[in-house]
Amino acid sequence: MEQAVVAAVKGIVGAEHVLEKYEDRYCYTYDASAVTAGKEGMPALVVYPGSAAEVSALLKLANEHRFPVIPRGAGSNVSGGSIPCAGALVMVLTRLNKIVAIDRKNMVAEVEAGVITADFQTEVEKLGLFYPPDPASKAFSTMGGNVAECAGGPRGAKYGVTRDYVLGLEVVLPTGEIIKTGARTMKCVAGYDLTRLMTGSEGTLGVVTKAIVKLLPLPEAKKTMLAIFDDVEKAAETVAQVFMAGVIPTTLELLDNIYIRNIEAAVNIGLPVEAEAVLLIEVDGDAAVLDKQVGIIARICREQGATEVKVAKDAKEADELWVARRSAFAAVSRVRPTIIGEDCTVPRDKIPEMVRTIRAIADKYNIIIAVLGHAGDGNLHATILTDERDKEEMARVEKAAEEIFAATLAVDGTLTGEHGIGLVKKKYLPLELGEGGMLAMRAIKKALDPNNILNPELV
Amino acid sequence: MQWSELEKEVIRCIKCGACQSVCPVFRELKAESTVARGKINLIRAVIRGDVDAAGAGFEERMSWCLMCKACQESCPSGVKLDQLMLAARRKLAEDKGLPLLKRLIFRLGLKNRRLFDLGMSMGSVFQGLVLRPAPGGKGMLPRLPMGLDMRRLVSPVDARPFRSRVPAVVAVDNPRKTVAFFTGCMINYVYPQIGEAVVEVLKRNGVAVVIPADQHCCGTPVYVNGDVPTAVELARATVDTLADLEVDAVITACGSCGAALRKEYAALLADEPGYAAKVAALAAKTKDFAEFLAEVGLTAEMRGLAATATYHDSCHLARSQGVRRQPRQLIAGVPGLTFKELKAPARCCGAAGSFSLAHYDLSRSINDHKVDDIAASGADTVVTGCPMCMMHIRDGMNQRGVAGEVLHTAELLARAYKDEK
Repeated sequence: MEQAVVAAVKGIVGAEHVLEKYEDRYCYTYDASAVTAGKEGMPALVVYPGSAAEVSALLKLANEHRFPVIPRGAGSNVSGGSIPCAGALVMVLTRLNKIVAIDRKNMVAEVEAGVITADFQTEVEKLGLFYPPDPASKAFSTMGGNVAECAGGPRGAKYGVTRDYVLGLEVVLPTGEIIKTGARTMKCVAGYDLTRLMTGSEGTLGVVTKAIVKLLPLPEAKKTMLAIFDDVEKAAETVAQVFMAGVIPTTLELLDNIYIRNIEAAVNIGLPVEAEAVLLIEVDGDAAVLDKQVGIIARICREQGATEVKVAKDAKEADELWVARRSAFAAVSRVRPTIIGEDCTVPRDKIPEMVRTIRAIADKYNIIIAVLGHAGDGNLHATILTDERDKEEMARVEKAAEEIFAATLAVDGTLTGEHGIGLVKKKYLPLELGEGGMLAMRAIKKALDPNNILNPELV
Repeated sequence: MQWSELEKEVIRCIKCGACQSVCPVFRELKAESTVARGKINLIRAVIRGDVDAAGAGFEERMSWCLMCKACQESCPSGVKLDQLMLAARRKLAEDKGLPLLKRLIFRLGLKNRRLFDLGMSMGSVFQGLVLRPAPGGKGMLPRLPMGLDMRRLVSPVDARPFRSRVPAVVAVDNPRKTVAFFTGCMINYVYPQIGEAVVEVLKRNGVAVVIPADQHCCGTPVYVNGDVPTAVELARATVDTLADLEVDAVITACGSCGAALRKEYAALLADEPGYAAKVAALAAKTKDFAEFLAEVGLTAEMRGLAATATYHDSCHLARSQGVRRQPRQLIAGVPGLTFKELKAPARCCGAAGSFSLAHYDLSRSINDHKVDDIAASGADTVVTGCPMCMMHIRDGMNQRGVAGEVLHTAELLARAYKDEK
């Protein structure tokens, strides 16, 4: 980047909000995915804008001088969606960290992009309100990042994903215009649904600077239970059965033996390490009906072959189970140092078949694949445990992943339920969208970002 | 040692970013390179050949760690960031040398006026850590070969060291227990009154105390700065002095000394022939003052204290040694005292030994959060189990104009035992 441009950037955000040192920039060549840009993808600058106006000015400058801009929140995304290309400007939005308003009467809130999701949840819950999206990274991920990636989470079975709560956005378009999408109302059909277009656009169509989100009343109570199985397929079969019985659990998580053992090693709360699989199930709502729901679910679990069904007896026990679940993804890194988390999602009734397929693929390629899933919404995290230093094994991993994707699409599933496509799955996207779908997406990108400024490598 | 030897540990970091939510340094500096995930990736980059370990930028970032272990506690992959930091600093010290004292005093102290001013008020502290009395009472000599010429004489500290104030054996009638007291440098040279309080409280409760005269620095200050050979030497000396004593326990009253004796010596002396058993025996015998007292129980009645007290968890006492409950139990047990918990009692105060000398401004801004928390608690007395934390919190409260006393757990108890006002 030319010195004059660097000076202009500093003029916009202030020199103290610009990182120029090599080591500092290097630490923005990765995100929480398994890919990294390394030295070849070094960003030219890392900047922390303090307002939408500064974001706009930076993007205008980028169009003028044609340098790529990579928006970034906490960099906790696992898609490779915030990895820069050489010479890019990485735009970290964490300074935009204000909760602008929590409107209790209308049950909406307005937040800046850099607000930490869990902090926001804590604030709304103080008022008896509820923001349901709960990505595993919520203690450090940002609201803007959640919107850009359309983050999901364990509560998706009942409450859906980030998209289902975004009413409107403030977005800076790639060419610098600041626009507002949607409205503060529950209904809005004015024009194209740009809110939905931007949500999950992975930083390619605009920079989200503010979000208006819908809130729900905080459920009065919840109950958490653990159903233990000696066979992972029995557990998988149980998932659809629970919904068919007319109960919609908040969460229905499937964890296989590899996960159970390693989470237990990490948090030590007495998980059944011999079990082949467990279902972690939570129901919430009116306290009066919870026991009935728990009863129905427990009965179905037993009918499907659960060896034991345990209900957490108090909030502490329930919390422990959740701490355990949240540490799952990282806990399995004890097995092998590199973990690659896929997030294929299939129709609920196809979960047993998909679990079977994943196991067969693991055997075929002689690699370890642990299975965890937000099974309640069909979202399976096939987790490949490997070692990035072993090139030969990594080649087998690649082939196995390809087979998992193909199998997912064959049962009407999708390549990603909540992580996004990013750099990680870019080359597989045409398999799902087809030629026409890709053309439509590229046309939208071209229309909004004629100079291909924003996260250009992703499209 | 090669950088590549660190790879096995380094690649276990899955870069999830969880450390961002707990790292006190990241909270201030905001740059990804200042959080555990970033530092680990910089080490990874050195291995990959993307970053030059000899560059000032790398060394500086490796120095931006308080060793508070908050990231380790929140890391579900169990990545041992402290071990990585130590290994990296050791490698840097081996490759580049470590003119520590020179660097601290001349480059940072004299260059930075605020720090220099502080240095004057903290002069005795610093000397205590790195200097020893010269023969004949003519001054102080560097305790360790840390960059200053070992023969260079510097001005003496005022305080009469603790170990010269007390007898080597403090006997009691019909002792319930007999313990050895490892004083550490801070207590010996800077805060002898903590040492006196420790002895006083133990004595009142029927515990006889042996204070071995030839004990030395535990080695933590040099260890965390990467000077492993010196740290090994100090660790060996400490083990030799304490391991064979016929006592019920070895008592420490400094979080860092305790962590060294109980946890760090095992790794530090792993390659020293004949030391494994002695290190294990010492580790098993060592107990923090508060932990020991809570375990044996207080037998002497207290006069009591009218105070509103809060407690700061020293990183090395709470996270390294797991001592959290016992000091609170002792404090809350003082008659007349009201105990108030801080919002974030276990957040690092920013002292971290020489960190606060090398990065004074940064350590101050980290400390500001602690001081705010203390002010909001309404407590008039801050209690902690680490002399270094005491010094830093005291300095912070003073600078921010927050009233209140900072005491060691032992000092609070000794006060509650005092017969008259």
